[in-house]
Amino acid sequence: MLELEFTVNGSPRKIESEARLTLLEILRETFMLTGAKEACGVGECGNCMVLIDGVATPSCLVLAGDAGGTAIETIEGLASDGELDPVQRAFVDAGAFQCGFCTPGMVMTAKAFLRDNPDPEPEAVKQALSGVLCRCGTYSRIMRAIDQLTGRGI
Amino acid sequence: MTTNVGRSVPRVDGYEKVTGAHVYGVDIQIAGMLHGAVVRSPHAHARIVSIDTAAAAQAPGVEVIVTGRDFPFLFGGACQDQPYLAIDRVRYIGEPVVAIAARTEAEAQEAVDLVTVEYEELPAVFDMMEALDENAPLVHPDMDTYVKGGHVIVPHTNINTLWTFQCGDVEAGFAEADHIFEHEFSAHAISPAALEPHVSVAKYDPVTGGYTLWLPTDRPFQMRGELTSSLGVTSDKVRIIVTGVGGSFGGKNTLISETISVALARHSGGRPVRVEFTREEDLVASTTRVPAVMRLKTGVTNDGMLTARTAEIVWDSGAYTANTPGVAIRGSSTIVGPYRVPNVSIESRQVYTNRAITGSYRGYGTTQVTWACESQMDIMAAELGIDPVSFRLRNAYEEGDPYINEQIMHGVGLHESLKRSAEEIGWGEVDRAPAPHLRRGKGIATMIKPTATPTSSNAVIKVEHDGRVTVLVAAPEIGAGQSTVLAQMAADSIGVPLDSIVIPGTDTAFTPFNGPVASSRTTYHVGNAIMLAGAEVREKILRAAGEIMELEPVSLDLMDGVIYHDGERITTVADMLGSFGFLDGYSITAEARYSPKGSPLLKAPGPYEWMSSIFWMFATHAVEVEVDIETGQVRVVKVAAAQDVGRAIHPLGCEQQIEGGVMMGISNGLFEQYKGSGGKIANSSFADYKLATMPDLPEIVPIIVESEHSEAPYGAKGVGEPGAAPTAAAIANALYDAVGIRLMDTPLTAESIREAIEALAEEQASEAGRSQ
Repeated sequence: MLELEFTVNGSPRKIESEARLTLLEILRETFMLTGAKEACGVGECGNCMVLIDGVATPSCLVLAGDAGGTAIETIEGLASDGELDPVQRAFVDAGAFQCGFCTPGMVMTAKAFLRDNPDPEPEAVKQALSGVLCRCGTYSRIMRAIDQLTGRGI
Repeated sequence: MTTNVGRSVPRVDGYEKVTGAHVYGVDIQIAGMLHGAVVRSPHAHARIVSIDTAAAAQAPGVEVIVTGRDFPFLFGGACQDQPYLAIDRVRYIGEPVVAIAARTEAEAQEAVDLVTVEYEELPAVFDMMEALDENAPLVHPDMDTYVKGGHVIVPHTNINTLWTFQCGDVEAGFAEADHIFEHEFSAHAISPAALEPHVSVAKYDPVTGGYTLWLPTDRPFQMRGELTSSLGVTSDKVRIIVTGVGGSFGGKNTLISETISVALARHSGGRPVRVEFTREEDLVASTTRVPAVMRLKTGVTNDGMLTARTAEIVWDSGAYTANTPGVAIRGSSTIVGPYRVPNVSIESRQVYTNRAITGSYRGYGTTQVTWACESQMDIMAAELGIDPVSFRLRNAYEEGDPYINEQIMHGVGLHESLKRSAEEIGWGEVDRAPAPHLRRGKGIATMIKPTATPTSSNAVIKVEHDGRVTVLVAAPEIGAGQSTVLAQMAADSIGVPLDSIVIPGTDTAFTPFNGPVASSRTTYHVGNAIMLAGAEVREKILRAAGEIMELEPVSLDLMDGVIYHDGERITTVADMLGSFGFLDGYSITAEARYSPKGSPLLKAPGPYEWMSSIFWMFATHAVEVEVDIETGQVRVVKVAAAQDVGRAIHPLGCEQQIEGGVMMGISNGLFEQYKGSGGKIANSSFADYKLATMPDLPEIVPIIVESEHSEAPYGAKGVGEPGAAPTAAAIANALYDAVGIRLMDTPLTAESIREAIEALAEEQASEAGRSQ
């Protein structure tokens, strides 16, 4: 068993974990933060994206031990007091989701990208989000959501 | 009054989806839950000689092991040909043989490797045309003993569905034609690839003998029916609680992970069992689109009028039929396209092979037949020297035309969809070579789709003491916006605010029956049921107000939850019902059933009235593509996608469906392809089974075409199913326009395009050589 300390959505957490567990498993099963989804388990779909020290990372590829000492942000930490984060708000307004399964991964990836690139070119947005699969094919609406946001200078 | 219908109100599932709070099948966790894993067949066709589970039973954490002999039931939506777990014989690589439940998923997976199964291999058949051969190995020698629906089978062959259709006189039709064209096309297997994998949690109650299942599906009552009929139990013994659904696209409408979780739960002493497929299992051992080989013979006059068509179609169901007979029947019927063809003959045969199981997929057969029909339309147009749009318009259905079964077509926005998509793409103008190695071209394709008819829907509406309105309908939100459009229709039909409407998830123990959330039938059918029940609730509210306040109901009105008397606000629904308190109480309820059965719109003389559809859907994609003539790589530049939706209840929702359909069509047509041989799928991950991603996004212009329909709720038809069907043919037609190549088989890979370009260049060079 490993003893791990990290912050999750701003709260310090200390747990014991089996070494073989992934960060995604810990988030979903220990912390019941089920927003991040496993659609492939091998880092090919981006549906489990969370931010580790601000970097969008597929949490299925991160072993628990490697997450020690980091600051983790998940979709559950984005809205505060029922007030949606601007990225979430834009996704709702633009209709940038259908079944919603990829939405947490898509929103977190967009969030990290826009923090570093407040005024991106459309091609850069497409590349930044290329690692998140959406089978409903809502890409066009996600682009509109990002367009709305960049107009607001997030 | 429509205050909500027709407006793109915020989706009711928006907040919970963007915050990660929406609970999907994969998110269900129940105390004491065990985790299942599956020992799968490595052979395409083999006899099971022995199964040794002794070592697995001793493995850490293992609680339950079940084989086909322990749970010997057969299931299937159209034909009960499939065992929950293989019984004595396996018929495809990946077939479940032994199920294991352990305390953790990892322990269950580790125990899988400890099971030893001895097989004796049997001759197998992998090619659908070879499966037709009279000497082909039989995948189901006992086919005629299975419980099945009304479709025709051919015992002692591999043909599990045979369907033929005739209208007019094809020989006379070909005699009238100036040109006869014969071509063969094929459409490949595609994974529905919903990002939420197949998953279910099953709990068995040893006292009542009943099962409760939590699972994502679009077909709860049909799935319950498959379980009760296969297990021989009554409806109260199977309760399905539908979770959030992380995409279906036709894939989550038959028993997949559920057979495993149910078999394990039956032997777990009451502990719930969760089974989640890995992506590999999802890709190789769930269902795929039914591949098809389609031979078309079409007669046409010099002025471009279609006179006759024969179609011979072979479909590959894989090792079991699942719900594919409907594809082989309904799908085949639309191979005539949305065109007036007076003389038609169709022969559709679906065969078993030792390949992965196929099933329904968005479009239910229309994606395959549209590929053939619309590719041939352009081949013919080119030979005749007629513009492809003009050729289509000359033959395309208009309001009042008879369908091939002689149903009078109603609500036909086809011409408008063709014209507006062509106009938007800039038909007839192309910047042919934007760079030395790039060529551009434009193409168009259209399609027709019926909705499953007749099918029924029920709605129960309850108005609570505080004015909240509960709408009970078995219409799971699968992502297409069902819950929002149904809430809009409920609010407007009663006269209450949209945010007072609550649509709980489906629970077959409480929710009234509905047909499947499939075939784009939900808005129309469930909407009609809601409108009927809503009108009754409205009337009851006004009657109650009349009694309570001693006023004439005819002088009362209800708008946005407020009750008016002769135009003056007197109270609200919430205040009126709330005044009764919790002991006496006052709840208003209504229920309604809608079925189109008996509608005059369905009338058709002759034996094929069952082919009538209560509404028809039309979708046209006009595309511009850019092809790299050195690599064969295609970039879709722009798609103008026009779809006749009847009336848009939620315009943004319609646009989402149209745009999502285009992306799926591009993905299906250009990228997705199973590889492997001998029934073995070699690409079982998203790294190798390529889906379209964000950089593949073209400019998409969604065009909502509205047509009048006299029986539709607020005029709405359906929108989701047709969206991905025309894309592949439109791209292929654009490739012909760009570089003169014609591909007959999907997918349109860079490799096949490059080879076709090279072959054409060689052909042209040798022709030039000959003429010198």
